[in-house]
Amino acid sequence: MSQTLAILGLESSCDDTAAAVVRAGGQGGAEILSSIVTGQGDLHAAFGGIVPEIAARAHAERLDLCAEAALERAGLDLSDINAVAVTAGPGLIGGVMAGVMCAKGIAAGAGLPLIGVNHLAGHALTPRLTDGLGFPYLVLLVSGGHCQFLQVEGPESFRRLGGTIDDAPGEAFDKTARLLGLPQPGGPAVEAEAAGGDPRRFAFPRPLLDRAGCDMSFSGLKTALRRARDELTVARGGITRTDRADLCAGFQAAVRDVLAEKARRALAATGAPAFAVAGGVAANRAIRAALETVAGAAGARFIAPPLALCTDNAAMIAWAGYERFRLGRRDGLDLRPRPRWPLDARSPAMLGAGKRGVKA
Amino acid sequence: MPSDLLTLGLDTSAAHCAAALLSGERLLAQFHEEMATGQAERLMPMVEAMLRDAGAGWDDIAVLGAGIGPGNFTGVRITVAAARGLALALKAPAVGVSGFEALACGRAEPVLVSLDARRGQSYLAIIGGGEEAAPLTATPESLPEGMAGSGLDVIGHEAERFAAVTGGRACVPAMPLAEAIARRAHVRRHKPGPRPAPLYLRRADAAPPSDPPPALLP
Repeated sequence: MSQTLAILGLESSCDDTAAAVVRAGGQGGAEILSSIVTGQGDLHAAFGGIVPEIAARAHAERLDLCAEAALERAGLDLSDINAVAVTAGPGLIGGVMAGVMCAKGIAAGAGLPLIGVNHLAGHALTPRLTDGLGFPYLVLLVSGGHCQFLQVEGPESFRRLGGTIDDAPGEAFDKTARLLGLPQPGGPAVEAEAAGGDPRRFAFPRPLLDRAGCDMSFSGLKTALRRARDELTVARGGITRTDRADLCAGFQAAVRDVLAEKARRALAATGAPAFAVAGGVAANRAIRAALETVAGAAGARFIAPPLALCTDNAAMIAWAGYERFRLGRRDGLDLRPRPRWPLDARSPAMLGAGKRGVKA
Repeated sequence: MPSDLLTLGLDTSAAHCAAALLSGERLLAQFHEEMATGQAERLMPMVEAMLRDAGAGWDDIAVLGAGIGPGNFTGVRITVAAARGLALALKAPAVGVSGFEALACGRAEPVLVSLDARRGQSYLAIIGGGEEAAPLTATPESLPEGMAGSGLDVIGHEAERFAAVTGGRACVPAMPLAEAIARRAHVRRHKPGPRPAPLYLRRADAAPPSDPPPALLP
């Protein structure tokens, strides 16, 4: 069981093309030998959001370059690699498909085992890569595409306690930035504005706080922000810098309060000894601080992986691939890219899930 | 195991999975299966089975040919991504072969190649006439002057209607698509060019946001 393995990971489920090599199984814990992430912000900037076809086009022509760069930086040849792990969903299907096909080509050509990884499992298992965290623990996965509380019981055992029934907070941050003329990605821009704003000037809703459980909603918050902006614009023909800062502060406080209260409930429901955050929104300092406070009050250890491992990356995919590999899991060359792939197959489908099934 | 250089040609640029295997210039095996969906799952197992039946393995492949379209965006990416992954692992040259080049393969005379562009249109390119111009999008009615009345034979989508305008004949391809891709890759293996990349010929369907941000007051 102490055999050291080197895993090549590929990730292309949204707008980052990534490849990484992780070594694991030795005495000293896991080691990220390389982690290459190529963003696409410039490609999507003109459209105010991620355009799936543009993302897929970039992934298809960058994945092999990223894989080569990751191997080179790790100082390894494919003959030194033990398995190829790839995000097989959920995500934008064009990108997932490009990643899966590139991984199949590498695995077939090099005679290596192929391991399909759930992108959400990659995020959820990251605290084990960074901090060697043992099972069970609670994780809040909060990004531009996802928002859910998961009780992590094993590498393939996740129980969803609740999640967003509509938009993800990261998407709401992006939308807020667009509505206020701030640059993308919206998270850092809104956070910077909020720092100088008054969070109490606008009374934004805290959706679903009055409802039991850990489900969340953020689309109403977006609407409230738009309405507040429009009222200011109609009255005065525009908004001032102070207006903008106050709107950002009010919005961020609402998201923070919802996440903190739902985290409190999730910790109470599970009694989890540790609480980890993952996903790009975990980079928001106000939100992170509130979550840390909630964890402390519940007596749970708080873990926030470094930012580069909170946002999309392939080291987490290599690690999750390693965890599956160790359980003897292998996928065939018929591995199916999946746009929708809930981590927790037992819990009932979330509200708002599309007619084609639960997204995540 | 076959003794000559093995070349694998792949294509999923439309509603099919297709591959061909050459040993030197000899066709060893090929398949072409119609399928509207599922190419990402089926392509590699089908190629693996073809290789096995031919007594070869993945690591025997010395040259890769990838069909780069134009065609179905997602379909073209399936082949391109797989070929680039294989090329990386095998340290083998990968040659991107367009549908125009593939359909004209085996012809001595210049030919106008037409590929289905949907929306009632065709992508068109003249292959074999020396310097090759960029492909264009047209219908038989909108064929530009240089092509109309040129006497060029036509291969491909709506070949008969286009041939009626060029004054040439409507012809059929000399060989199946994947075989043509493999043959062109074999010919070009010493100068493979840049890594295979899809030939889209159409921009991604995307528009800038319609809701402008508010004016920022002093």
